[in-house]
Amino acid sequence: MTMRAILKKARADILSRPMISLLIVITVAISATLLTLALATLMNLNAPYDQVFQELNAAHVWIYLDRERVGRRDVERIRSLPGVEQGTDLRYYVTTRADLRGNRVPVSLRAIPLETPQVNRLLLEEGRHLAPRQVELLASTNLDDLYKLSTGETIGLTRADGKKVDLPVIGLAYNPMWDTYRNDQPPYIYVSEETLRQLHPDESTWAWSMGLRLNNPQSVEKMVTRIETALHGDVVESYTDWRDVKRAAVFGARVNFIFLSAFSFFAILATVLVIASSIGSIVLSQFKQIGILKTLGFTKNQILWLYLGEYLILSLIATPIGLLLGIALSPLPLKSVAASLNTTFQPPLTVPLTASVLSAVPAVVVGSTLSAAYRGARANIIKSMAVGAEAPRKKSSWGIRLATRLGLPIVLVLGLNDLFAKPFRSLMTGFNLVLGVVGIVFGLTLNDTLGTYKANPALMGIVQDAMVTRRRTSDRKTRHLLREAPGVASFYSEVLLDAESPRGRSFQVRAIEGDLGAFPFQIQEGRFLQANTHEAVAGRGLMSWLKLEVGDELTITFDENPNRPTTWRIVGQYGEPTNSGEMMMVSLPTASRWVRGIEPDTYFLKLARDSRTTYLKEYLKQNSDEDLNVMFTKQAIPDDVLSLQLAIFALAAILIGIALINVFNTSLLAMQEKTRDIGILKTLGMTPAQVIAMVNASAGLLGLIAALMGIPLGFALTKRLLGTLSETYGFGEVHVALNLLYVGLLIPLMVLVSMAGSILPGRRAAELSIVRVLRNE
Amino acid sequence: MTPLVKIDDLRKTYRTGAVAYEALKGVSIDIAAGEFVTVMGHSGSGKSTLLHLIGGLDHPTSGSVKVGDHTLQTMSETALAKFRRGNIGFVFQFFNLIDNLTIRANVELPALLSNGRSGSALRERSDELLQDLGIVDQAEKHPWQLSGGQQQRVAIARALINQPTLLLVDEPTGNLDSASSETVLEILDTCHSEGQTILMVTHDPRAAARGQRVLFLHDGQIVDRTAGGSAGRIGQRLAEMG
Repeated sequence: MTMRAILKKARADILSRPMISLLIVITVAISATLLTLALATLMNLNAPYDQVFQELNAAHVWIYLDRERVGRRDVERIRSLPGVEQGTDLRYYVTTRADLRGNRVPVSLRAIPLETPQVNRLLLEEGRHLAPRQVELLASTNLDDLYKLSTGETIGLTRADGKKVDLPVIGLAYNPMWDTYRNDQPPYIYVSEETLRQLHPDESTWAWSMGLRLNNPQSVEKMVTRIETALHGDVVESYTDWRDVKRAAVFGARVNFIFLSAFSFFAILATVLVIASSIGSIVLSQFKQIGILKTLGFTKNQILWLYLGEYLILSLIATPIGLLLGIALSPLPLKSVAASLNTTFQPPLTVPLTASVLSAVPAVVVGSTLSAAYRGARANIIKSMAVGAEAPRKKSSWGIRLATRLGLPIVLVLGLNDLFAKPFRSLMTGFNLVLGVVGIVFGLTLNDTLGTYKANPALMGIVQDAMVTRRRTSDRKTRHLLREAPGVASFYSEVLLDAESPRGRSFQVRAIEGDLGAFPFQIQEGRFLQANTHEAVAGRGLMSWLKLEVGDELTITFDENPNRPTTWRIVGQYGEPTNSGEMMMVSLPTASRWVRGIEPDTYFLKLARDSRTTYLKEYLKQNSDEDLNVMFTKQAIPDDVLSLQLAIFALAAILIGIALINVFNTSLLAMQEKTRDIGILKTLGMTPAQVIAMVNASAGLLGLIAALMGIPLGFALTKRLLGTLSETYGFGEVHVALNLLYVGLLIPLMVLVSMAGSILPGRRAAELSIVRVLRNE
Repeated sequence: MTPLVKIDDLRKTYRTGAVAYEALKGVSIDIAAGEFVTVMGHSGSGKSTLLHLIGGLDHPTSGSVKVGDHTLQTMSETALAKFRRGNIGFVFQFFNLIDNLTIRANVELPALLSNGRSGSALRERSDELLQDLGIVDQAEKHPWQLSGGQQQRVAIARALINQPTLLLVDEPTGNLDSASSETVLEILDTCHSEGQTILMVTHDPRAAARGQRVLFLHDGQIVDRTAGGSAGRIGQRLAEMG
């Protein structure tokens, strides 16, 4: 019977106050959306790659066969080996050159079947697939990233006879086994076997490869050994391990990971705060009703059950709505991760995600309702009914005493008085505002940090202004040309060597020589290597992978001379921008003692301040065999990071919006609680403008305090967060910067934003009827 | 001589939905400067409504209220607020002090609303008033730490801080024991003797007797007028009104 009465009252409350009920549903739904977005982001950071890998039935290992030692029949033998789940047909490719936006770049021209293959399908991002009897090509999506290539353009490919032929680009495709780790690996261009034959008729020049899906995806090395054992020889020239591809792809998206993790952190905090303050405020504003219910005989527990029931019902309606909305929106934050992996992403409606949101949101609602309703149930009946809200604090605070002593205007003193009348609530609202400030500071810091990196790419380990690669032109001639080239201030040369640690860990070594002092290598620990010594510097990734420390010695063998191990002393750790930092740098003259006949093929240039890139390009083209390719360092920060920056600002705007709602709630509630005081003040001659100023002053002071607390907190938090996350993802030291001008502008902005939130409550207070207040007394 | 307060055919009707309640039905009163007038009447007679209209807390339905040079029914909310602050001192039955301000801050509040800032002159004035009313030792306390009589004395000090033209007093003894009531009434007497114009509404004959003139309000109309002085006579007249 009692429960029926409670339910009846709860139903009546929900239906008789449709606006408040709707406000709660909207608040809870938005919170559930935020939480879903945050959790979906955190739970699915790796998902875009996993999902696309699964959808395309990608190979676990892609093997490059020595065609001198294998025949076509061996391909079938490989496919039928135990442990092989599925395999592709034999795939042919030729390494040639392509004209891309005026650059002659090496490309891997790959024949693909016209019908959709079972294993390792391509993901078509744009355009269409290859059609029979058409001389056309599909370009890999990274060509779009590098050269802004799009469907409908043509690419000039060098045929076997050295002549150039233009082929139309009919689409852009993503290959899940294109290994970004091998930075010497050329981009892929896909054609039909027929087209490959037209361009390179001699099949003996075609290289062979094939992809395999394994029963045990972790047994890549075992499978390679098994193939070589089965075919009695060293038939696998090289192979691509799916785990390396994934690691490199995920590493490529690491910056996004850092910021999205931070986003999630803020979103979860905001969720809790919004629910707690909104529900709390609404319950506390119903003191009069609580007083009446107690007069009618409702016990404390019954009041608790009543409010709990009301808000639980509303939250159970709102949470699934928010969850679905969050699921629908979750591709947005993950879009940048997906984009950097050249794929799209649809997050799954997983049980852990659904269960977390469906339980966490109502739990926060229950917690906030119980705490507020408990305070209501404990309140004095007469006071509850008379004031209609919880009575404010009875003692003046140190803040008011200080303000009075300082002789501040009375509206400011009274505003401060309001602020301290309900310290806990002010703290909650203030915390919400601080969160908004932290969000903005996060965005601003990110903005300035990216600006720092943009202005100085060396901080990301990109020390050169331009890079030149050679093919036929000799090293001696290339050096000569670079010495004479217009605008080249200095350069150093490099050859990449494949190396292996005693435990069989493969990585690449940069053997360098030249005017190294002119380049701002980022030494994070120790010092740079000295030329012609056995000193080396290593990237952070390699140091942690091989558990090395500065001062350690590392013995390696170069693949070109596997029988002669050589020992290097690690004298420093440098900022390596590629291959997850799993690289080492040594002196080329020393390395050439162990690997005979090596010559550099890549040259890193420092350009003079007033140099013109077109002159340099033209000079190299005219004076070489047209095989010197120059690439200028353009943008150190990827586009998707810049768009993510916008997302961070959008998040900050949301947080500020939430804070604004909270200021509104707090001001409204404070006004309700202070109805009597406002009536008295108006009686004593406070003008409507002074009433508004008082309410605004209270909110403005809250905004000021929030800004003064939020700015240093936000900067420290951002610095710590970026530092911790970048450590986790192997990004290295982060140079965090913040423009003081923005900080200066943020303070008045926050004051104004807070005041904006209190305008309506202030106006309501100003319009309050004095007589009605006095009569209630 | 021009009266300080001139009320002419004052009417006030309250509406709740379709129901109208006429609280004042054409009241006309003149109060001279320095006069102490009391208004007697039972609950619901319209005493407080009359006080609120004279104090500029509410707008009349018709008729006029003139206090000094101010014609209240034509004034805006802001002008009324400034008028109250400079010309009217209010004393209420329930004291209406602000709980989380100290006694001194409560007293100085109307002056601060006028001037905006604190100052030594204001401090001297509040000290003087608190001294006169015997509560200077309570200055740094909060209202809830004081007795009812002390709180009413604080309310009077607050009402006097801006040296108002007119002191409006609403049931000042309604919430006090007899000793405290007597003290408060003596303070009002002192104020009057110093030239303060006072309009007090009450249903306590002993309080009403302090006035020079007593007006009897019944169902929104002035039904009788008499001189102050005798609480018995006033009480009897009130009883006759039913």
